[in-house]
Amino acid sequence: MEYDENGVSIVPADLKKEIFEEARKDFRYEEYVRGCLNCGVCTGGCPPHRFFDFSPRIVLQKMKSKDPELIWTMMDEYVWACFQCFTCAMICPFLNSPGGVIAILREIAVRRGFESAKKVLKPYSRVLLKLTAYGNQLSPDMIQPDFFPDWGPHIGYASTDLSVKRKAIPMPTLQVTNLAWDVAPETMKELYDIFDEAGVFKIIESVDPSLYEIIQDIVDDVRSS
Amino acid sequence: MSENILVIGGGPAGLNAAIMLSELGVNVALVERDSFLGGNPKKFKYKFLFPDMQPADNVIGELIKKAESGGNIKVYYSSEVSDFKENGKKFDAVIKSASGSETKTFDSVIVATGFEHFDPARDAKYSYQLFDDVIDIKDLERMMGENNFVRPSNGKPPKKVAFILCVGSRDRHVGNQYCSRVCCTVSVKQAIEMREHFPDCEAYIFYMDIRTYGFFEDLYWKAMEEHDVQIVKGRIAEITSGPDNTVVCKGEDTLLRGPFEIPFDMVVLASGMEGGPQSPEISSKLGIELDEHGFLKPENVTLSPFKSNKPGVFLAGACTGPKAISDSITEGAAAAMNAYTYAVKNR
Repeated sequence: MEYDENGVSIVPADLKKEIFEEARKDFRYEEYVRGCLNCGVCTGGCPPHRFFDFSPRIVLQKMKSKDPELIWTMMDEYVWACFQCFTCAMICPFLNSPGGVIAILREIAVRRGFESAKKVLKPYSRVLLKLTAYGNQLSPDMIQPDFFPDWGPHIGYASTDLSVKRKAIPMPTLQVTNLAWDVAPETMKELYDIFDEAGVFKIIESVDPSLYEIIQDIVDDVRSS
Repeated sequence: MSENILVIGGGPAGLNAAIMLSELGVNVALVERDSFLGGNPKKFKYKFLFPDMQPADNVIGELIKKAESGGNIKVYYSSEVSDFKENGKKFDAVIKSASGSETKTFDSVIVATGFEHFDPARDAKYSYQLFDDVIDIKDLERMMGENNFVRPSNGKPPKKVAFILCVGSRDRHVGNQYCSRVCCTVSVKQAIEMREHFPDCEAYIFYMDIRTYGFFEDLYWKAMEEHDVQIVKGRIAEITSGPDNTVVCKGEDTLLRGPFEIPFDMVVLASGMEGGPQSPEISSKLGIELDEHGFLKPENVTLSPFKSNKPGVFLAGACTGPKAISDSITEGAAAAMNAYTYAVKNR
């Protein structure tokens, strides 16, 4: 990928136009993008704005400009700075939703397997695996000191003797360590159908092909059991 | 036999309508819900009026004096129209007051029920009522009127004051999409007043658009050029408490600073105008239309802004939308002329 002097990736103008059209056609677009007075209340209340060069007001203004060039400048990094807390949507006097616009643009980036999406999703591959293969997000065996140095001095103790500690929880489905709870195969099969229908597996294939293969192995095993 | 006309509401519009009709020899029944005349300007002790900073008493006091000095005006204090019926082209109304109910037939009616100040406590981001030093324009007007301009938290004079525009106006969250029209000018007037009387106190105005329409623009320029009022573009997202007993305004300066958090000794919220509970009440009682903003709806907003949809019932002042006092007085006269014409035609 090549970048221009402003750090924006260089792509054909047609692609930029396509991205804009795709966003415009989203069923949420009309609800998220209304009038704007540039009052800045969204950016004033925006938590990431305190840490990054990120402004929900700019997001909405660029979207309203209907200029594919301007909208593309957000696709590499900008859209990933948002916390998706929707404070902006809560305080905008017009009831705009800059956070919602971000969601639309991010979904486009993921669906199309853009480099930026791949980069951002890489650290989440373990979560993605658990989520799509088992319907869980975090499991006890993911709690390892190396991964969570910010969890304080007790992380070492918390990550040992997991199966004993889990047995102390008086709920039968919680006595596993590789999952948050024991998921029935029927539940998993239903989940896979939903992911198939919703195109989730396809999206994972486009952003992380090797992760997709691992997930598909598990899916095939469960489905044939 | 002279005409009988009912005027509901004793603010600037109702007072002027009653006075003009009285001068024409009409018997006027002036129904006022409060125990005094003068409406919101009197109730909240407005001190100086824009644009020429003349004492409010010169205007409101004069009107009250004229209305109360007898003539053909009968004022019903602390009273309301409890029942209202059409009677051919005339109207039968029951006026209820402390001294009982009185039924009378009127040739025409003028509704001048006015507005209510928006209650800023309804918009939580401004922390009104949470912090003592967050007040609104009517509070400041009263403070100035009582010569008591100090921080409510500690009784000391403030050194840095923020004025925040569009509170309760132009905001779908609070249900008021309209501009309240006068708050920009009132805030600029108050900032000038403050800088004149307390030159040690800095003034900031946070705005989305400054709408000091027409000649009121002079005040806006004067505030910048003669009184060094800081004008910052950006709506305030949140008011929090800060160190040393300050209140912190957080927002985005969309032209210059970017994000900011500035501590102030006092914050003045330019709360807008609303139709209040009286507008739907009078609308259903008299059978006249309410608009989508919660104010009374004129028959034709351009051709006859002082007429309701019901022949014989006329509208004046802020009951049809946010309005300056001068506009209300003008409309009072216009409604009086129309109510008189209707009464004479149907005598």
